[in-house]
Amino acid sequence: MSRSSRSMEWTPLLFSGGLAFFLFALFAVIPFGDTAMKVGTMIHQQGGELGAANLVTAVVLGYRGLDTLGELAILFAAATSAGLVLSNTRQRTRSIKNKGLGELFESAISLLMPLLLLVGVYIVLHGHLTPGGGFQGGVVIAVALFLPTLARGEMVINHHLIQWIEGGAGALFILIGVAALIQGAAFLQPLMAAGEVGRFLSAGTLPVLYLLVGLKVGAELAALLGHLVEDDEPGVQQ
Amino acid sequence: MSNSLALVIALPLLAAFLLQPLAQQLGVGREQRSVAIQLYAQLTIAVTLWITLMLGNGVEQQPLSVMMGGFSAPMGINLYLDRLSLLLLVATQLALLLLWPADATPRIHALMLLLSASSMGLALSGDLFNLYVFYELLAVATFGLVAANSSRSAPLISFRYLLISGLGSVLALSGIALIYSHTGSLNLADISATLQHGDAELPLAAFILILLGIGVKAELFAVNGWVPEVYAIISPRLSALLAGVVSKLAVVVIVRVLLMLFPHPEAAQVLLVLGILGVISGELAAWRAQDLRRMLAYSSIGQLGMIFIAFSLSLEFGMLMGLLLSLHHMVVKPGLFMLTAGKSKRWHMALFVLFALSLVGVPPLPGFWVKLSLLTGLVEAGGALNQLALIVFLGATVIEASYLFRVLQNTLPNPPAVDEGHLTVGWNGLVGVLLGGVLVVTTLSVDPVLEQLKQISSQAGDRNLLISSVVTPSAEQQMVVERDK
Repeated sequence: MSRSSRSMEWTPLLFSGGLAFFLFALFAVIPFGDTAMKVGTMIHQQGGELGAANLVTAVVLGYRGLDTLGELAILFAAATSAGLVLSNTRQRTRSIKNKGLGELFESAISLLMPLLLLVGVYIVLHGHLTPGGGFQGGVVIAVALFLPTLARGEMVINHHLIQWIEGGAGALFILIGVAALIQGAAFLQPLMAAGEVGRFLSAGTLPVLYLLVGLKVGAELAALLGHLVEDDEPGVQQ
Repeated sequence: MSNSLALVIALPLLAAFLLQPLAQQLGVGREQRSVAIQLYAQLTIAVTLWITLMLGNGVEQQPLSVMMGGFSAPMGINLYLDRLSLLLLVATQLALLLLWPADATPRIHALMLLLSASSMGLALSGDLFNLYVFYELLAVATFGLVAANSSRSAPLISFRYLLISGLGSVLALSGIALIYSHTGSLNLADISATLQHGDAELPLAAFILILLGIGVKAELFAVNGWVPEVYAIISPRLSALLAGVVSKLAVVVIVRVLLMLFPHPEAAQVLLVLGILGVISGELAAWRAQDLRRMLAYSSIGQLGMIFIAFSLSLEFGMLMGLLLSLHHMVVKPGLFMLTAGKSKRWHMALFVLFALSLVGVPPLPGFWVKLSLLTGLVEAGGALNQLALIVFLGATVIEASYLFRVLQNTLPNPPAVDEGHLTVGWNGLVGVLLGGVLVVTTLSVDPVLEQLKQISSQAGDRNLLISSVVTPSAEQQMVVERDK
């Protein structure tokens, strides 16, 4: 046993050394930033057709909408797996109860929370105009929702509601894609007129999709953080 | 109409998102709820099966390429349905319907639905990065399913699995980034058209990275350390699903990338060497294994090594051989795994013998024909490495026979007592019987099945068909213009 474990220590080192050399040699010969990519050039030329001032949004929700749906599913899978593991281990060990952070933090956080929420919602809603969007704004929203829990040491989020927001937002994202399908277009094809670039109401369904992404990400992360703090789950899982 | 192909991926995702809130609304007892959720999930898979069969009708003449979001080929993502992906898709859906876990919590059902969506995405997607997204989704869903196991070592084992998988994902992503930096495109058909001319060094490096990355799920040598310990703790149904179907999906992704992007002899050689090493390490470890499930897991590493050897042969023939071996393994390995569940009965033993004989390659079972044609193929191909593969292959067959019959030797002298209730077959046993039936029917109709598979593999190996059915002429002209600039 000891012999095999000693050899086990060497193999990963050798492997990672070789891999590092391989990657280094590779990336030394790649001409980074020299030539514009084929698809990149095409997006520069036609990207405006979707009406999003932020071209990244046109890529994330338009050209590669299916990837974004996949990313949402990955986050959902990770949150679900984490919930499973946490509820499994909880049967064996009781987690230490969080006592809260005290008066000072509590008041500071109750001041901070609405502002954070506002910033989060702003980032989500302006995803098609400025850098940012559903994923980034969603994280800010999740932090805003989680802060009171951290300060008071108890769960103040309604799990039932969060689950509906989480599931409903994801489902609506897909249903908007299906709506395009019913109209005879392709799955996840942007609907409604693109409008005037730069206006708040522009880019068709893209802002709606980003809002749903923001809601889903926010709800998911808040629920996940909540699971980490909670003593026992009030929900019905397990 | 053809646009609704996207529903095959979207419906299981939709069902997964809504599952937990809906489950909370159900005001019935735990057991009834579990049954209701299982029905809901299986119904979703059944609907996707129906959609697939509806759309798969005309695929024989012309593969179907469906654009997502209505953007043309290199810009948007496309789903590609040819006869090979149709076969894989239907096999995946049937396997999911048969092997769906019973009596599970809502979270496990949700993860299973995500696993279903990602497997179907892997079978369908025609875009390199989209394939990566589905691969990642598959990985994360399986982490949860492995970690959900109640055994004490489950957290550690799933953590190790997560690390290996994570390494694989990083490697695959670097490979994809290399390809993108080289060709400026992520669409498989478009990359294939671009790479037909130009140097091969960078693409080869990218292929090796993608091979090692996706190889984690395909049980490729050097990145398969998770296989035995994971299969030893998860339920037989999940083992059957992962070893039987999911590993094949990963293999097909590798083969598609190989055939479409890097049809260079060096790439095939890498595949051949790793395949040989996989066969040697897998079969020897299986021979030494004490526990039946571990033995099956190691043997599956060896079998996948053989599949890699087969795919490394010349394009047309290698494709057919790899496909034959994959399908054979897809029937036999889940069958064997299902028989490890529950108490063994006499007819269990009979079925085990049937599967074992086919796995070893005893005529007239399908395994014999597959192995025979692979052997003749290796002889015809010639070359030192192919001869080495031939020797390893023959040796592996002997070792396989040795350990499979050792199992029988240990059980046959004291066969289980005569079954009291013959009627209590149980679902797992029933699936075993069904797979055994498939094996017998194939034995009786080897020629027509082979004919069909020949057509499937020749269509799948046709690069020009892929390029012409995905990249529209106008986009191709645009490419030329782009290049001239």
